[in-house]
Amino acid sequence: MSVAIFTATEFLPGDAASLLLGQQATESNLKNLRHNMGLDRHPVERYSIWIKNAVQGDLGMAARGGATINSMVKSRLPNSALLAAAAFLIAVPTSLFAGVLAGTRPDTKLDRILSIGSLLAISIPEFIIGVILMMVFATKLGWFPSSSIMLPGESIWSSPKILVLPTITITGALFAYILRMARANVIEVMESNYVRTAILKGISMRQVVFKHVLPNALIPTITVIANNVGWMFGGIIVVEFVFAYPGIGSLLIMAIDTRDMRLLQSTALVIAAIYAFANLAADLVYGLLNPRVRVGQ
Amino acid sequence: MNKEPLLKVEDLSVTFFTPRGTVTAVREASFEVSRGEVLGIVGESGCGKSTSAFAVMGYLPTTAETGGSISFEGKDISSMSAEDLRELRGNRIAMVYQDPTTSLNPSMKIGLQVQEVISEHLNLDQSARNKKVVELFESVGLADAEQVGDRYPHELSGGMQQRVMIAMALACDPDLLIMDEPTTGLDVTTEATILDLVASLKERVNAGILYVTHNLGVIARVADRVAVMYAGQTVEQSTVTDLFASPKHPYTSGLLSCVPKPPGDGEVSSRLKRIPGFVYSSQESEVNSCLFAERCPLADSKCTTSAPALEFIEETSQVRCFHSDKVEPDTWGGAEERISRKDVNSPTVLTGTGITHEYGKRRKKYMAFGPDIDLPVRALNQIDFQMPQGKTLGIVGESGSGKSTLARAVVGLIKAQDGSLQLNGNELDKTVENRSNEDKSAIQMVFQNPTASLNPKLKIKKTLIRSLMRFSKLNKQESEERAASLMEEVGLDPSYLERLPSELSGGEQQRVAIAGAFATNPEIVVADEAVSALDVSVQAQVLGLLEDRQQELGNSYLFITHDLGVVRYISDDIMVVYAGHIAEYGPSEGVLNSPSHPYTEALLSAAPIPDPYAKPNPLRLEGAVPTMREEFTGCFFASRCPRKLGPICDTEAPPIQKISTNENHVINCHIPVEDLEKIQS
Repeated sequence: MSVAIFTATEFLPGDAASLLLGQQATESNLKNLRHNMGLDRHPVERYSIWIKNAVQGDLGMAARGGATINSMVKSRLPNSALLAAAAFLIAVPTSLFAGVLAGTRPDTKLDRILSIGSLLAISIPEFIIGVILMMVFATKLGWFPSSSIMLPGESIWSSPKILVLPTITITGALFAYILRMARANVIEVMESNYVRTAILKGISMRQVVFKHVLPNALIPTITVIANNVGWMFGGIIVVEFVFAYPGIGSLLIMAIDTRDMRLLQSTALVIAAIYAFANLAADLVYGLLNPRVRVGQ
Repeated sequence: MNKEPLLKVEDLSVTFFTPRGTVTAVREASFEVSRGEVLGIVGESGCGKSTSAFAVMGYLPTTAETGGSISFEGKDISSMSAEDLRELRGNRIAMVYQDPTTSLNPSMKIGLQVQEVISEHLNLDQSARNKKVVELFESVGLADAEQVGDRYPHELSGGMQQRVMIAMALACDPDLLIMDEPTTGLDVTTEATILDLVASLKERVNAGILYVTHNLGVIARVADRVAVMYAGQTVEQSTVTDLFASPKHPYTSGLLSCVPKPPGDGEVSSRLKRIPGFVYSSQESEVNSCLFAERCPLADSKCTTSAPALEFIEETSQVRCFHSDKVEPDTWGGAEERISRKDVNSPTVLTGTGITHEYGKRRKKYMAFGPDIDLPVRALNQIDFQMPQGKTLGIVGESGSGKSTLARAVVGLIKAQDGSLQLNGNELDKTVENRSNEDKSAIQMVFQNPTASLNPKLKIKKTLIRSLMRFSKLNKQESEERAASLMEEVGLDPSYLERLPSELSGGEQQRVAIAGAFATNPEIVVADEAVSALDVSVQAQVLGLLEDRQQELGNSYLFITHDLGVVRYISDDIMVVYAGHIAEYGPSEGVLNSPSHPYTEALLSAAPIPDPYAKPNPLRLEGAVPTMREEFTGCFFASRCPRKLGPICDTEAPPIQKISTNENHVINCHIPVEDLEKIQS
């Protein structure tokens, strides 16, 4: 993974040195700066130094501003985590509930409204939803701030209002996605032979749904949710950018803007690591829920 | 029996309204079940038997419309409220389903699944409930009844899962037990143990049992009375003995005469009778004719202009036919003599020597070191066989015994690790990719599931012409003509060439698959369970077709099946395989009669016989074919053998014994042939 990130950034045009010095830079100035920054060394060598430090927890210095990348990531990661957690906590339970509601009553009015609504929410990209929300609730109604810029020293908690719009934007897509998954799985399980068995046991529909439908319908749903944590991160990057929210996503975009390869590599690496852990967690959750994949006693 | 029956179904009709139009699944079904008796409902697929059973449970999709009446103890089920239905289901009426694997909740322990019914309908405390579950598990013969409740369904074999389903159904001592094809899909050996259980229930519980099946052998084994269904109608209802002895409806008579009889003495001397055509499938709900008329040899103008009603002709038997008095053993034609091939000596076409195949790879714990954690599965072990020209070699065994692997090795779909194949004395390459076009066309295959093996997007014509142009070196014009004649040879109208596989019935599709196999003028046709998925009337047609082709063209069949009746009917030689080993191999009537290998004996005693007077042989096999990962130290069958001699079976591989009366008949067993003959007589 780290090799892929590194190689990809190697192919990007321009480098931090030329961007830092601007258009008036002379060749010799550039050369000096590149030497100072270590940019003139062989890529393999630079990679090995970077990865050696990275695994030890040192991501190096940013090309600009004189801050360590560690501290930048450290200050921004909690913000992103908070945004993700807020979106997740709101989206997962409500969408599962709505999905089950729709799935147990296929082709009713409620089901149609939820299905069409979720299809719309999925098809519109986050940055459009974000901008629309911004126009309505920030510019027109003025209920929430339109950007989430924080001054140095401030934290989210000093103005929690800045969380609202980004959270809603992410929640929207996530909600629609999980709802559709849950609905499809519930409908499939409702048609299964074992649900027929359960109904013909004479137990109440409530028990059929809670004991037989839900556990089996939610296993694949939850796995898919967990496997799509990475996809959600993509959404977060865009949303953070739209609202100028100080998270890891906007850090990534800033790194691209400033051609700060080291910062770009490091943020990408951090996101990749989170993605890998999320998938591992997904597999563990799946094992916990599904007796068929549990090994040993 | 002058009191009101437990369940009385009168003129039941069920119509489904689907987006593709209305489908009338049941038209005029009438039957009744009394306490303490087993009513068998028999019929071919699509005749409405399962739909009727679910209608009795009050469980039909919301798009269904029912007519007629279903009265349970005098109360009409179809007009009951949801609350009343719940009170009935699982408690007074319980059901056992086909395919237990999908009918049990995969993420719930089986003990809890059984308890659920008890807590819903009986007023017991937790410890009493636990006790009841253990008792139930014991009563259905589940080993380790105390612990088994903590297992999940996937940890049990199919037979054990079905026992759990039966335990669940018996939980509240129901008054009516509905069993819908409970043994379909299970191995014969497992089926036999489940049928034993059902037969014992008859004596133990004071309930009426409604038993739905397509298998006449099963009906003869478990039922007291039988209702025969055709195209959604009850066409005959009678006691099981009367029905088998003197069927009153031409359809019943036809069904009975087209089932290949399981092993008895001697060679099969007459051909199977055949009911022409296919199951009636018009979707119109109102029909003014007898639905069986177009296939019936007794039909006259009256049958096509007015519909017969179900009428009593004797105190215990009802029939829906104008001509029931004319139904006799020869209704479907007199016995057609079969030419005996027993003493015909024919040259060997295909020889297999030492065929061995393993699935999977050996893996060690730490790359190349440490203990083995994964061993390959040995599917075939040193299989030798010869196929004489113009004859049929039948292969039987339970699922997992290696039958299909052998078929695939012969056709070249898998590359056997060891052994060799010789076609007319020439070495045959192991994989189909490396075989010459001549070799490919010499060996063709017909698969079990025609729906899945025909390309759904290609017209029948395309499918046939492809292999004709490729292998028979015909041009387009010639192949089209040949395709048309092939269709006629398999009994299909050439106009079918323009259709897609989905526009054909299962039996018609299998005929197309057979036509495709014969397109290359093969010397050998490998048929892997080619008739297993077909209804008995269609099965008889396809078997007859295969026979005719063989007589005309003199090709050989490698015929794989789990049905001993079919294998006896079609085969000249039979190979019985178990866990990839040959248990017994020899001429058909030799293998199917004593002395037999204990495994053959067990298979024979498990096969349900379509004769209500047949006394079931009590010899049973429990469990399933073991997955063989390493070469057996002793006999391959030792772990399940009902005739195990002693330690020698576990330590030494069995010798190959030749039967004195026939050099070609071999049994791989430690028990001396004379002793086998003694125990088995």
